[in-house]
Amino acid sequence: MRKWIDRGLPIACAICAVACCALLLGIVATILARGLPVLSGEFLSAADGELLGSGGIRYQLFGTVLLVATALAVGAPLALGWALVQAVWVRSQRGRRLLRRTLYAVNAVPSILFGIFGLIVFVKYLDWGKSWLAGGILLGLMIVPTIAVALVERIEALPAKYVRAAAGLGLSKGRIVTSVILPQCWSGGASGALIGLARAAGETAPILFTAAVFSGVTVPHGVVESPVLALPYHIFVLAQDSFDPEAGAHLWGSAFVLLALVLALSLLALPLRLRAAEEAQHG
Amino acid sequence: MRSSLARWASYGATGLTLVFGTALLVSFVAQSLPVWRHEGLAYVTGSVWHFRSEQFGVLPMIYGSVVVSIVALALAAPLAVGAAIWSAEYLNGRNRWWFKVPIELLAGIPSVVYGLLGVLLLRNWIYELFERFEPLSGDTLLTAGVLLAVMILPTVMTLADDALRGVASSQRRAARALGFTQAEGVLRVSLPQAAPGLVAALLLGLGRAMGETIAVFLVVGRQDSQADYGLRSWLEAGQTLTSKLGSSETFLAYGDPLHWSAIVGLGLVLLALVLSLTLAAGRWLPETGLARNRRA
Repeated sequence: MRKWIDRGLPIACAICAVACCALLLGIVATILARGLPVLSGEFLSAADGELLGSGGIRYQLFGTVLLVATALAVGAPLALGWALVQAVWVRSQRGRRLLRRTLYAVNAVPSILFGIFGLIVFVKYLDWGKSWLAGGILLGLMIVPTIAVALVERIEALPAKYVRAAAGLGLSKGRIVTSVILPQCWSGGASGALIGLARAAGETAPILFTAAVFSGVTVPHGVVESPVLALPYHIFVLAQDSFDPEAGAHLWGSAFVLLALVLALSLLALPLRLRAAEEAQHG
Repeated sequence: MRSSLARWASYGATGLTLVFGTALLVSFVAQSLPVWRHEGLAYVTGSVWHFRSEQFGVLPMIYGSVVVSIVALALAAPLAVGAAIWSAEYLNGRNRWWFKVPIELLAGIPSVVYGLLGVLLLRNWIYELFERFEPLSGDTLLTAGVLLAVMILPTVMTLADDALRGVASSQRRAARALGFTQAEGVLRVSLPQAAPGLVAALLLGLGRAMGETIAVFLVVGRQDSQADYGLRSWLEAGQTLTSKLGSSETFLAYGDPLHWSAIVGLGLVLLALVLSLTLAAGRWLPETGLARNRRA
């Protein structure tokens, strides 16, 4: 009996593990098999056609890149400041714990609520209408916890002797932050930022009411009433009207491009995290 | 001089983030006040949502959210915990890394892509599989639950793996020295010791399932009224808090203060459910594990 359990448990667990990996492979393979034939230079570079789901995805791609870039410009400084306050400036354990809990609470807020919040503040109260800037700010706020937590983990893992040595040389605390802590920990922030951007690129719910439209716009000029097209929103709308086979091919192509973009950003973060793991071992 | 500049810039950024967070919370409470005054407690217990007759009961949506999340967790939990045991107890460093990379990538797939797979594949499979129960279509609460199960799998698996690896290896060695087989060590030492972390992993998975919008929206059927609350309803179209919030009714409602506050109230109920799950998980798992909770 004991022997059977000892043999059976790893087999059962391995089956679970293989099933998890098979799910990923199945999903990626499905998108690949149906999306790859659609992909061409023209599909990426042409604007969308007159009919639903015809033509290319030039401005959808542009809109997504614009939203993600804005999210980075908004989210990175906020996260950097937060991480420094939590890991460096605040000394009391109570203060740090409070900041950490707050960050987790923000992280748990469902993305649709950011969308409704953006509708209240940007679209209606500030009267921007749908605007790329509103979408970028909302996505930026959403990824603050992702970047800040990655940065805090790296700062806390920094050997204390580095900071002590710098203090012994007579460096001020601000100087220690800019000359010791940030150069040593930037890769943590960068990998957090890449993962955050991968999430921001794929988000639909926050831009649903605040930034994205389905067709009729190209490059925004200004902020007010300046929506963009975006890949996730494009897929979301087409998926609700999926019975037209022409739109179907277009849909798989768009999904393939979005998935490739997101996975590329996540994979870029891997070497940075590997380096972090190695440095932690050698201390 | 430089010290104070870096310091004030950091505090400024933190303050700004806190202002946005507080504004979010305040706007959901303040803007939903009219509907609480109009409906009272009947807002969460009423089962009719009909905005033309100014009836706002969100019980069907709460029911939908709870059902899809529980279905998702029931399907994902065994698979995720099994995979986590495999990764934490049977794999060594390098092999574990090769296993965790695809899981991390699985966590990164956008929800709209899951939604697309749900629309084009899963809802047909569900329809065919349960054909003898005569569902009206493949858009059901069950479909949304199955789709969510795949989506929360990486979250639960990563957190469960962290919890198991938090058990000191000296405990495992002690178990072996007492004559336990490896499997007995896992079942009688690692799992009980990791139990708080595992519970937290499940609670966070539940919270994540509850907050997911886009994929659920595409396959849940989006029907406001719930004919019955029995098992049969799992194979009928339903509505969740999130799918209601994501519908075009949100845009339409803005002009009418009462209707709008009923929509915002859905958000407040959702926020309360998700935050209490997260806080409960935080009690079990006070340290950094919560950071791995990927947003829905």
